[in-house]
Amino acid sequence: MSEKQNNSNPFDPFEMWRGMRDSALDVWAKAMVQVVNTDAYAMATGKSVELYLTAIAPFREVYEKMVTQALQQSNMPTRSDVVSLAERLTNIERRLDDLDAKLDESELRAGRAKAKGEGR
Amino acid sequence: MMATQSPVTPEQFKKLEEQLGTLMRVTTTRYPIDQTPKEVIWTLNKAKLWRYVPALPAEKRHRVPLIFSFALMNRPSILDLRPGNSFVEYMLAHGYDLYLLDWGVPGYEDRHFNMDEYVGDLMPRAVRKMKSVAGSEEFSMLGWCIGAILATAYAALYPDSGLRNLLLLTAPLDFTNREANGFTRWVNEKFFDVDRVVETFGLIPPEMIQYGAKALKPVENYIGNYLRLWDNLDNPEVVESWHAMNTWVNDNIPMTGGFFKQLIQELFRENKLMKGTLKVRGERVDVGRIRANLLNVIAMADHITPPCESESIMNRVSSEDKELFRLQGGHIGIMTGSSARKITWPHIENWLRQRSD
Repeated sequence: MSEKQNNSNPFDPFEMWRGMRDSALDVWAKAMVQVVNTDAYAMATGKSVELYLTAIAPFREVYEKMVTQALQQSNMPTRSDVVSLAERLTNIERRLDDLDAKLDESELRAGRAKAKGEGR
Repeated sequence: MMATQSPVTPEQFKKLEEQLGTLMRVTTTRYPIDQTPKEVIWTLNKAKLWRYVPALPAEKRHRVPLIFSFALMNRPSILDLRPGNSFVEYMLAHGYDLYLLDWGVPGYEDRHFNMDEYVGDLMPRAVRKMKSVAGSEEFSMLGWCIGAILATAYAALYPDSGLRNLLLLTAPLDFTNREANGFTRWVNEKFFDVDRVVETFGLIPPEMIQYGAKALKPVENYIGNYLRLWDNLDNPEVVESWHAMNTWVNDNIPMTGGFFKQLIQELFRENKLMKGTLKVRGERVDVGRIRANLLNVIAMADHITPPCESESIMNRVSSEDKELFRLQGGHIGIMTGSSARKITWPHIENWLRQRSD
């Protein structure tokens, strides 16, 4: 389990205790790996997630509505406005990247033509 | 009057005080990981393409550049953990022109991103830029974990892109055996409502993914890891290594709901990549179209990607030059543990060197 990286003294009582501790942890670790790899554990995890989502759902909805209303009343951009803006910016970035690709291609072609001309 | 002797000497008190100071330092501060100099050569949305500053002059470097594709929910800094123990540093010293495709931290606006965006849009664009900067039509790609899924899909979709060498590390690709892995069992449709999780969060919280990874080996991750530190507090090498790894492990990023759903529904549950029914931007991902030289590195003690999930790709690709390299070790340990510098890195470098000029 835990590995002491330097030389250990077999007569040291702490070393003996550490050895016993590590053996016990190894057994526990192997048992827990078996436990988490069962359908029962998977079902319990699934239920916990479901419970959590059910518990937070009404609060999230109310909170989101309140924040959106507050932002709209204060003439501030809401999350959907920011998302829409971000998407537009990304689209512009894509167009710029397309242009960059064309420029790189032109440079490459010009370089090849020049090299060909020098070779003649 | 009898003098009472303290059971603990002042030296022992001093040592204990120092050890507690070390413990506080490494558990509450960040280790300066990711130190190798690099520069951004391309960006799109949150993604960045980094070029590491070469360690050797151009005439001594290999002709074919290498690009890293790492997982989406962790930072790629694991490849450059600390000076003297960095895969990036090692490959630079061996004359590679290195590039890193950093997916960045997705925002709420990217919550729908799945392989259509990562493999169908960002990867081809980043590769184009890398080829332009490197001045090479050919390149090598190394994918690790989920980054290996993306690299495999890329290699299958774009076999004529100039991809000469494909290196896969602990690649989760084949989910025929859904009981081989804790993850695939937990997200079984009987127990886990992926639609509801994605609808609620949009972006999957990093804490949720981190819990999933740690819960596969709960005793090792929540107890054994700290005992190992406690037992070695007077060993600076172990302490520094632990500090660097702890910094990386706890620095996770959210995963887009779109990819999370695709991973669980289409890969874990329906095994579409191996069945050849996965589609990216409407095009079928056929791993049989992969022709690049292939090095597939598998960790035999991998609890996150069991070997059976990585092995079968070897019989599916069309590559004539392919090698399956099995290693003793875990999912991360094979690239960062004590054997990484002695076994894993030299093997990868040796394989790639013979195919990079």
